[in-house]
Amino acid sequence: MAQPFVKKDDDLDEEEEYSPFHGIEKGAVLQDARVFHDPQLDARRCSQVITKLLYLLNQGETFTKVEATEVFFAVTKLFQSKDTVLRRMVYLMIKELSPSADEVIIVTSSLMKDMNSKTDMYRANAIRVLCRIIDGTLLTQIERYLKQAIVDKNPIVASAALVSGVHLLQTNPEIVKRWSNEVQEAVQSRAALVQFHALALLHQIRQNDRLAVSKLVTSLTKGSVRSPLAQCLLIRYTNQVIRESSSNTQAGERPFFDYLESCLRHKAEMVVFEAARAITELNGVTSRELTPAITVLQLFLSSSKPVLRFAAIRTLNKVASTHPLAVTNCNIDMESLISDQNRSIATLAITTLLKTGNESSVDRLMKQITNFMSDIADEFKIVVVEAIRSLCLKFPLKYRSLMNFLSNILREEGGFDYKKAIVDSIVILIRDIPDAKEIGLFHLCEFIEDCEFTYLSTQILHFLGNEGPKTSDPSKYIRYIYNRVILENATVRACAVSTLAKFGAMVDSLKPRIFVLLRRCLFDGDDEVRDRATLYLNTLGSDASVGGTDEDVKDFLFGPLDVPLVNLETSLRNYEASDIPFDIYSVPREVKSQPLAEKKAPGKKTAGLGAPPSGPTSVVDAYEKLLSSIPEFSSFGKLFKSSSPVELTEAETEYSVNAVKHIFDGHVVFQYNCTNTIPEQLLELVTVFVDASEAEDFSEVVSKPLRTLPYDSPGQTFVAFEKPEGVPATGKFSNLLKFVVKEVDPATGEAEEDGVEDEYQLEDLEIVAADYMLKVGVSNFKNAWESMDPDNERIDEYGLGVKESLAETVTAVIDILGMQPCEGTEVVPSNSRSHTCLLSGIFVGNVKVLVRVSFGIDGSKQVAMKLAVRSEDPEVSEKIHEIVADG
Amino acid sequence: MILAVLFTNADGNILVERFHGVPAEERLHWRSFLVKLGADNLKGAKNEELLVASHKSVFVVYTILGDVCIYVVGKDEYDELALAELIFVVTSSVKDVCGKPPTERLFLDHYGKICLCLDEIIWKGMLENTDKDRIRRLMRLKAPTDA
Repeated sequence: MAQPFVKKDDDLDEEEEYSPFHGIEKGAVLQDARVFHDPQLDARRCSQVITKLLYLLNQGETFTKVEATEVFFAVTKLFQSKDTVLRRMVYLMIKELSPSADEVIIVTSSLMKDMNSKTDMYRANAIRVLCRIIDGTLLTQIERYLKQAIVDKNPIVASAALVSGVHLLQTNPEIVKRWSNEVQEAVQSRAALVQFHALALLHQIRQNDRLAVSKLVTSLTKGSVRSPLAQCLLIRYTNQVIRESSSNTQAGERPFFDYLESCLRHKAEMVVFEAARAITELNGVTSRELTPAITVLQLFLSSSKPVLRFAAIRTLNKVASTHPLAVTNCNIDMESLISDQNRSIATLAITTLLKTGNESSVDRLMKQITNFMSDIADEFKIVVVEAIRSLCLKFPLKYRSLMNFLSNILREEGGFDYKKAIVDSIVILIRDIPDAKEIGLFHLCEFIEDCEFTYLSTQILHFLGNEGPKTSDPSKYIRYIYNRVILENATVRACAVSTLAKFGAMVDSLKPRIFVLLRRCLFDGDDEVRDRATLYLNTLGSDASVGGTDEDVKDFLFGPLDVPLVNLETSLRNYEASDIPFDIYSVPREVKSQPLAEKKAPGKKTAGLGAPPSGPTSVVDAYEKLLSSIPEFSSFGKLFKSSSPVELTEAETEYSVNAVKHIFDGHVVFQYNCTNTIPEQLLELVTVFVDASEAEDFSEVVSKPLRTLPYDSPGQTFVAFEKPEGVPATGKFSNLLKFVVKEVDPATGEAEEDGVEDEYQLEDLEIVAADYMLKVGVSNFKNAWESMDPDNERIDEYGLGVKESLAETVTAVIDILGMQPCEGTEVVPSNSRSHTCLLSGIFVGNVKVLVRVSFGIDGSKQVAMKLAVRSEDPEVSEKIHEIVADG
Repeated sequence: MILAVLFTNADGNILVERFHGVPAEERLHWRSFLVKLGADNLKGAKNEELLVASHKSVFVVYTILGDVCIYVVGKDEYDELALAELIFVVTSSVKDVCGKPPTERLFLDHYGKICLCLDEIIWKGMLENTDKDRIRRLMRLKAPTDA
């Protein structure tokens, strides 16, 4: 077959260079278009010119308004020719030119004439062109013809009118909706294509009328729909009807399921696939319903057509997320797809296998993936790495082989994002699987020996400094770290010095040896490296007494900065070099920017190195430090919990205030973060007057005013309350901001001497039960539950009345309790009728609490709840029930 | 919706492009994305072997026919299977018009007819005709045989 081809190509070598459109130019073609005006039309020549015009348009060339108008008028002349090929070109050209409303009128009469022509083909094409170019007013004029055309005995004409209807529905829905009787008739047509088009149009006309769609589906699923395309449409509509009539499912048999199942035996592949996919997408699909669909998808997996394989594996991948067991039968077929030519198919196969695999198949799977990884692109590799990470968290016992796999691929070539994904995964595994820690750290050490990415090296060194000293033999990491000081760039070297110092500070036995290494760094070529080494040597050195106790020194060196970095940066920028050294205590501690950043990633698992684990705790540490530095609060004991800031003013008001609730055993402190947004004002003696009349259990003990509040420099004022110890007292507090306002001269920036007293109403603040609960998860809920004394268990049942959905109820209960959902049980599978949610937390007084709460919803949306609480203190278990009963 | 149908030569030069419901400013991006996709994967592919890719909620099915690369892009109801159906119609009609898998020259020689074919196959982003004999007759304004 190929032979004559080659020969011919050789012969035509020179001609091959030549294209019929070689050197084509718009101006010249527009000149050529004058032949359209010839009294004696040359149909062939005209067709050629139109082809050239089409070529120009398809190359992205545009015509100016004048040019387009000229061409359009010229083309309309061609209606005089009787040549059919030319006529067909004319139709196409008019559609391509899409003339403006004032030009359309020129051509409508010709098209109307064609629409009523004796030649059916002229009629069909004229309908299409007309529907493409006319507007609403003209449409009403030809509506009569279109309605006739829909039921025309010629299927071409009928299809043309129906498809036009589908498009016109977007622009003139009220007109097209009037055709529904004719369309209904066309659905019964014997011509397959007419039936398909009619079905699509009829559904679009009625899509907002559920009952009508349901009727349509009921009647058509009984009869025979001819074209496979129409059958596919019908399956989709059926699926929609099933979804909307979900309340019937409790009766056992799902409506129309028999129909879907029968479609699995259809002779057209597309119908079979459509039905299989529809079944997998059914709400709350059972494994009995899934089986036949999975079986046909399994057959598609070994199809010779890549598209079918892709479609099947994509669907199975989705099913595997919700019903992994249903897909396991296909594992063997999927394993053979790992070597599929099409990388999309192979990657989908891998990730599906990772979802469905069991503990025993992990090793075999990893072997196969290893071969596969070398020949796919980075973006696919990242998907695989993420799938492996979740697999490892699912089967923690398999950490060894999975960790080995990750370290192997870490050594191979790859871009930054890929490497970062692997490092992040290893870090997450180290954090979540204690046994994996040493081996994981070792792999990371190996990696930084040959890591080309400064960012990753520094992140790993930082992580190593935190985790390494806590291992059984910290000394073995020193070599890797010190190698960085010798071999790397300044950024990495400086980071390595800090890591060395951490080891020295935390492991006394290593201290003398670390000091030897740090002293060598004093001669480094980079000043930052030298500075760090000097700092650490002087502060950690036993003979030097820069700081107070050992603890103070460590805290100073490695403790979190208790000021927000943004504020520190602003203060440093404003600081002018002078004799007075920069005072870090002058940096405002207002954490206003924090909630925004937290809101962005609600409940997101800390992702690898990007978000160090100290993130959330450092805010609490900062609060704790801040409060303990205020003498009035020092007697309150240990801070139990600080809430996230609650806004008490609208955005962009004169004064912006938010409040943080600090909970102690017997006290509550409100921290009001205030910002003055008016440049011409200075506020002094700022306090918040709190009315606690709706919070009977609370009595105010201290109010700490803020002396001055200049423009755009946040400050805090505090109010403390006493409350019964250990009791989760709740209440509502109304707040009034009081202050003395002084005018500021914008030119000099100096404030006037005399001020005026003023006040500003703030929103109310509430203390709720959830404020007394710390969200602390447990890694294995079952073990934790069983290790609690069953005598402390309290069980009760509650009727919650009619609720919108189960998911909403579960979220509400979690919010009331303020506890941490475990094992992903906060997610309610859609359409499920019962759900059990596992919660864990620490109640005020440091009492561990576990909650197992089961929900059930019936047909009338009545929700019942069974709440089982175990805690270290039976009284606390009772209290949790009280909280729920009150909520 | 069928978002795009694109024909290029082996070097990635555009022969025909048709977009439906794709804003003008995104077209260039799509064009280069598809050409790159073809450059990466179509080398060594067999004639009319279908390749498939998905990007977010959009599907791409593409193939090589003679010297011409053909890409179709769709979303929603036009998933990989519907697009495979579409590209099958397109390739068989092009072969029909050209008489064999076309060289670039042959393709350009029959440019007008190919435009007519596409006009019959796709109507504003929707697949309309799928039978190549029917399309051939429709192009010549002849009533189809089953009419």
